[in-house]
Amino acid sequence: MTTAVLASPAGPRPFSLQRQYALLGMLLIAPTILVFCTVIVYPLITAIYLSLFSIYTPTLQGHWVGLQNFREMFGSAEFWTALRTNVIWTLGTLSLQVVFGVGTALLLNQNIWFRSLARSLILFPYFVSTVVAVLIWRWMLNDVYGIFNHALLQAGVVDMPVDWLGRMPNAMTSIILIGAWKYFPFVVIAVLARLQTIPPQLYEAATIDGAGVWGRFWDVTLPQLREVLVVIVLLRTIWDFKEFDLIYLLTGGGPVTSTQTLPLLVYKQAFGMNSMGTASTYAIGMLLVLLTFMVLYLSRVGRGSEPT
Amino acid sequence: MRKKSTQFRGVPVSRRQALWTLGAAGALTAATSLPVARPARAQAQVTLRWWSPQSAPAQLAAYKFQIAQFEAAHPGVKVNFEPTSDEGYPAQMAAAYASGEVPDIVTHIPSFAVASYFDKGLVEPFDDVIKAIGPEKYYPNANKTYEIKPGTFTGTGIGNTAADNFWVRKDLMEKAGITQIPRTWDEMRAALQKMQGGGIYGAPLPFARNSATSFVVTTLIHGAGGQMFTPDLQVAIASPETEHAIEFYKSLRELCPPGATNYSWGEMITGFVSGACATGYYAGRVLANVNTQNAAIADKITCTLYPTISKDVPQASVNDFPSVFIPKGTKNLDSAKKFAAFLFEPEGYIKQLLAAPGHVLPVLKTIGENPTYLADPIIKKYPKEVELMTVSAAAGYNLGFESAKHKPNTKSVDIIASEALSEMVQRVALNNENAKVVIGDTAKKLEAIMKS
Repeated sequence: MTTAVLASPAGPRPFSLQRQYALLGMLLIAPTILVFCTVIVYPLITAIYLSLFSIYTPTLQGHWVGLQNFREMFGSAEFWTALRTNVIWTLGTLSLQVVFGVGTALLLNQNIWFRSLARSLILFPYFVSTVVAVLIWRWMLNDVYGIFNHALLQAGVVDMPVDWLGRMPNAMTSIILIGAWKYFPFVVIAVLARLQTIPPQLYEAATIDGAGVWGRFWDVTLPQLREVLVVIVLLRTIWDFKEFDLIYLLTGGGPVTSTQTLPLLVYKQAFGMNSMGTASTYAIGMLLVLLTFMVLYLSRVGRGSEPT
Repeated sequence: MRKKSTQFRGVPVSRRQALWTLGAAGALTAATSLPVARPARAQAQVTLRWWSPQSAPAQLAAYKFQIAQFEAAHPGVKVNFEPTSDEGYPAQMAAAYASGEVPDIVTHIPSFAVASYFDKGLVEPFDDVIKAIGPEKYYPNANKTYEIKPGTFTGTGIGNTAADNFWVRKDLMEKAGITQIPRTWDEMRAALQKMQGGGIYGAPLPFARNSATSFVVTTLIHGAGGQMFTPDLQVAIASPETEHAIEFYKSLRELCPPGATNYSWGEMITGFVSGACATGYYAGRVLANVNTQNAAIADKITCTLYPTISKDVPQASVNDFPSVFIPKGTKNLDSAKKFAAFLFEPEGYIKQLLAAPGHVLPVLKTIGENPTYLADPIIKKYPKEVELMTVSAAAGYNLGFESAKHKPNTKSVDIIASEALSEMVQRVALNNENAKVVIGDTAKKLEAIMKS
């Protein structure tokens, strides 16, 4: 190495090049670590700390209760009901997002008319603000002047307007469908990008081997999409599991608590019941559930990708 | 190995030098971004943040006028209006207090919320402001709900609101052969059944998990002759009167639009004003909205007090006593007090009241008798209705102040925010659960809130 620094026996020993690089590396990584600690580690530790107290939200005053909040959470029917609702919502909306997303991506990968325009327009639900999307949907689903009920009444399908958001199972079905509509473009973007990189020779070879449309999809496309689908499912599971605004604005968790997922329960405890300690406990519970899902899922994926 | 270098303005720069420079620049940027490194800047002017859930366009115009007048009279003070909502203010206030970023002045939220915040030491005493406004100008006992301790006021009313008027369409009543406005629940249900049909529903009552449903069930429990708390604030909701109220509420479900399971205040007023429902449960804003949004029925509406279970139970109004108060923690207390008092200056106050005539009724008798206020076309057009609302609101009650005998209930905002009351309605009306069991569960929830 031409730039090595030699130690001088007379003067103070200068930093070696290796040490200088190490210091430089630490200096360069310091802002990242600082940001990471500020936005991830600090809130996480604060949430764990708060979960050990009974705290009145507006004043943030409270007293130590230790693990009592956790005992109450695990013994609370509301927590388990919210968890069950959360799982139903996540599985329901995620499945539809993947099915619609892959189907639409396959369509947009074909040489169809106005393909560029369609590729742009398909992103609209994903980019539109959730509040705006919910207002539009609530308007369309309105019992008195909503277009859906109007169309059903005009067509003679129903005698009375349908209560889309205030009755079960309509409320859960509606939020799952609207969630799928809102977020399936994410799947489209990711899958479409991958579809464009699949070598056409694979399809040619499969065709020569006698594979039909379904065979080519099952034996060529799907294996090629596997990795991107793993990432999509992982990310969307996390995002859907902690979805708050869409559900809160559409149903508020109702009727009664039929669509109350864990994030809504955390919000209710923090700002409805003004119990920040309990809310933090539920948030930690939610984190544990997500971590469990992630570990299970990643271990399964890891096993599946091992060479046989 | 040859060191990689590039040129910067003709000077060769090694990769190591470039990285060191980049690192130093990053460190410098981070250091200068820290608040401690920033020199304290003298605040050029005071900025007041004003929150209110009342923010219809006409009201915003009136607020703008009041703000402009105040800023002109107080150079160096700027006022920013920030709308909140009837459903959202408990959460927003809780978050504001928790973060230490409180608004400097809050208006139009119910008096019981102010009492709750005061109880937790979160409200500045308001005595100075009432003195500045002039106690002699108020209607008698206008500030009774704010006197939480003798001689100590938590806020003042910016108006009175009779929240639960029974609005009816006279033309639909006539068409259905109903000669008198229903006085009892049986009469009301029968009238609604007769008027429902042809795309028109009986009433736009809410069955959602929100404050609107909590207000309606409060009206009905009181209308059954019951109370939610004893005068010394023991939970008293588990009573036959509550059962009657809940069963009556449930029986109205088939007379309300299907989507009423998600209704809040906005849908309730729209349901009546648009003509979709024959009756309504709302405050005086109906008058202005009908005249601007559906003038065809403007001469066909009237209101009375909400029916009760029988003629033996007197009718009364829920008044949410829209307030003005100053949250503890404001950094501009003096300016906030000046602005709070300024809100009652006749020119601006009348503009504000007339932005929703009949909805927010004056608390100052000097304004109630003011010719400019009385000259408003809506006030002139509906004198009987405005008079009824004015009188009933002044004698009204709410969850924080159930009767003259009751102690102020400082847990009311927690009760409303917990949705315990609206969940009770949903469980019985939508899930068909046993009313007695559900009311028992609700009583336990209320007891837990009262103990918290």
